Amino acid sequence: MIPLVSLVDAVTHFLDPSVLGRVLFDGLAKASIYVMIAAGLTLIFGLMGVLNFAHGSLTAIGAYLGGLVMVTFAASASGNVGRIALFFVAIVVVFALLTAFGGAMEVSLIRPLYDRPPLYQILLTFGITLVLEELLRMVLLFYDIQPSTDWLAAQGTRPEIISKTHDVVGLGVEGLEVFQILLGLAITAGVWVFLTRTRYGLYIRAGSEDGEMAQALGVNVHQAFTVVFGVGVGITGVAGALLMWDSAWAASINLGAEVLLPAFVVVIVGGLGTFRGTVVAGVLVGFVDAFTTELFTSDIVGFSALPELFIFLILVGTLILRPQGLFGVEEVGGH
Amino acid sequence: MFLPRVQTMITVFYFGLFAMSFDFISGYTGYLSFGHSAFYGLGAYFVILVANGKVPLLGNGTPFMMLLLLAGLLAVVMALLMGAVAFRLTGVYFAMITLGFAQILYVFFSNWDYVGSNPRDGIAVLGRQDGFSIGVPYVDSLNMSIGQLQGDTFTWGMDFAAMTGIDALSPISHTIVFGPGEVSYYMIGLVVLVCYLAMQRIIHSPFGRAMIAIRENEERARAVGYDTFRVKMGAFAISGFFGAVAGGLFTGYRTSVAPENSFYFLTAGDALLASIIGGFGTVAGPLFGRLFHEGLHEFLTKEGGGLLPYLRQQLGEGTLNTVILDGFTVAEGIEVFLNGRAGLYIGLLFVLFVLYVPNGLLGTLRAYLGGTVAGQVAAAVERRVRGWKL
Repeated sequence: MIPLVSLVDAVTHFLDPSVLGRVLFDGLAKASIYVMIAAGLTLIFGLMGVLNFAHGSLTAIGAYLGGLVMVTFAASASGNVGRIALFFVAIVVVFALLTAFGGAMEVSLIRPLYDRPPLYQILLTFGITLVLEELLRMVLLFYDIQPSTDWLAAQGTRPEIISKTHDVVGLGVEGLEVFQILLGLAITAGVWVFLTRTRYGLYIRAGSEDGEMAQALGVNVHQAFTVVFGVGVGITGVAGALLMWDSAWAASINLGAEVLLPAFVVVIVGGLGTFRGTVVAGVLVGFVDAFTTELFTSDIVGFSALPELFIFLILVGTLILRPQGLFGVEEVGGH
Repeated sequence: MFLPRVQTMITVFYFGLFAMSFDFISGYTGYLSFGHSAFYGLGAYFVILVANGKVPLLGNGTPFMMLLLLAGLLAVVMALLMGAVAFRLTGVYFAMITLGFAQILYVFFSNWDYVGSNPRDGIAVLGRQDGFSIGVPYVDSLNMSIGQLQGDTFTWGMDFAAMTGIDALSPISHTIVFGPGEVSYYMIGLVVLVCYLAMQRIIHSPFGRAMIAIRENEERARAVGYDTFRVKMGAFAISGFFGAVAGGLFTGYRTSVAPENSFYFLTAGDALLASIIGGFGTVAGPLFGRLFHEGLHEFLTKEGGGLLPYLRQQLGEGTLNTVILDGFTVAEGIEVFLNGRAGLYIGLLFVLFVLYVPNGLLGTLRAYLGGTVAGQVAAAVERRVRGWKL
């Protein structure tokens, strides 16, 4: 069923420097994507213990919003620098809108549920996903933007420097991947600063250590929950805006489900609520993904689903060997 | 005209059974089995793979009832394997690991070319011509074929006038003819009814009480002396059994299956919708929840006697072509906001139910009546009858 040609072939294939370099770059780019889509989820869980099922559809909304900004103003900025600057404008717009939306969602819908069993938060956010997805579909139909297929107009706004494959010391390096890696680093650094240098970051860290104690020590929990939920949703939207340029993901209705599952895997493997764990797990999953993709495209192993399958095998394997995740605290999942 | 079509009811039956099996573990022990679609998919694929002669040791002529039973037993084995790992975890982690297992199966079955030439799009029954039949295996006269496009028709009663040629006999000649749809309806309904009664029986047994004890407070249940791990494993296995039977019924009727409508995690999500709307922690509730879902779906599609044909008739051409905004007509508005939008309204309703009616339709009705519907209605009738002067 899975014909292994030969182990020696595989080893020699991967020792080739160009292949090694490609896997390295792919892995880093995928790692940044995975970290970005999981960062919001882990922030929200860290403080509030809410597993946000609506995460995926919020990413999809971010992708469409980002695309909308890009497509609307693409004509006025056609150069490389202009387009990239415009992209950062789009990111700011998406972040602001989705942070506000996330905050409103927390206040109006999730707040009444804190005194119920945690099961109900999963149920509620799952319901929100369904509603958001259908609303998105309706809006797209209303404006005649093709739903469910990839939104090509948004991808067309990619500046030339990012679409091209650059030749660096004999290695073909895709501009998009470099951009993804840089943005991933920036966002990781941003979240890290948020966690270690701001009041709310302190609350999150305290909350994921011992929520009750943090509350007893006078943290304004209500406000902190709203802010953190908003920021978590905002980051998700930014990740969506980035995915819009990547033809492997692109802005589509299905993006929600496509993003949700890897995000869960990364967050759970890293340990729910720890940002460090999320980064490590994101890198792990990214590299495994890149490695298995290479294995599959180079015909060494003839089972096309390997990358997809491996993500979930990592999840199950981690939960068997270390149920609290790589960096998780045991009590966090205890309720 | 307000009753759903027979075909809709068949879907309600088999999917309702799946939702019941989901609720059996999730609603009664409190362990959210988010990957429950694994069992549904297993049952569904097992039936088709046997029918296509792709399962070793089983011929493609194996009776359908045997297949349902075997699929159920296979699911029991899988549930025990999954449970042995998953029940070491609780809460969110349990939900995630079951989801992980289901997704592994989903990815596997959508890429494994052994099941069919194009596994991503799903497979159909090709290995046998006759429909699957429900009844007593190996006794032909006690078997009824089911199927969407094929299946038995059944005539009940006798037409004496036609048989004897005497017209005078026509008043006592009565026949009722069931088309394939009706036959499938009754036969699938029968299996679902038996499964429902079995689950109902288990819930009301001491074992079922232990399950509820785990949901309410697992530590206390353990302190009282229950071996909670074994109870959970047992409940998961039973729930897996019925989940696979539901999957088997689904493909027995539809004779085709795709990874998207079986193993995909959103299939379990639909079961979750049905359970919450119908009543989380009630056996019959999910069936009503699914009925509601399918009913709304039918109401909001163009075909049949739903809202859209009605609106189209009532509003007339002039109104339909009225432009509301920027070349956007009323007809387009109906298309965008109503046609096939059941998912939106179900989702909204689901959110409202989670927030304000956490017991669901049946659970709320029970709380209002102060006991199970059957028990309270019977008691009320009894009280009324006693009051009569006979």
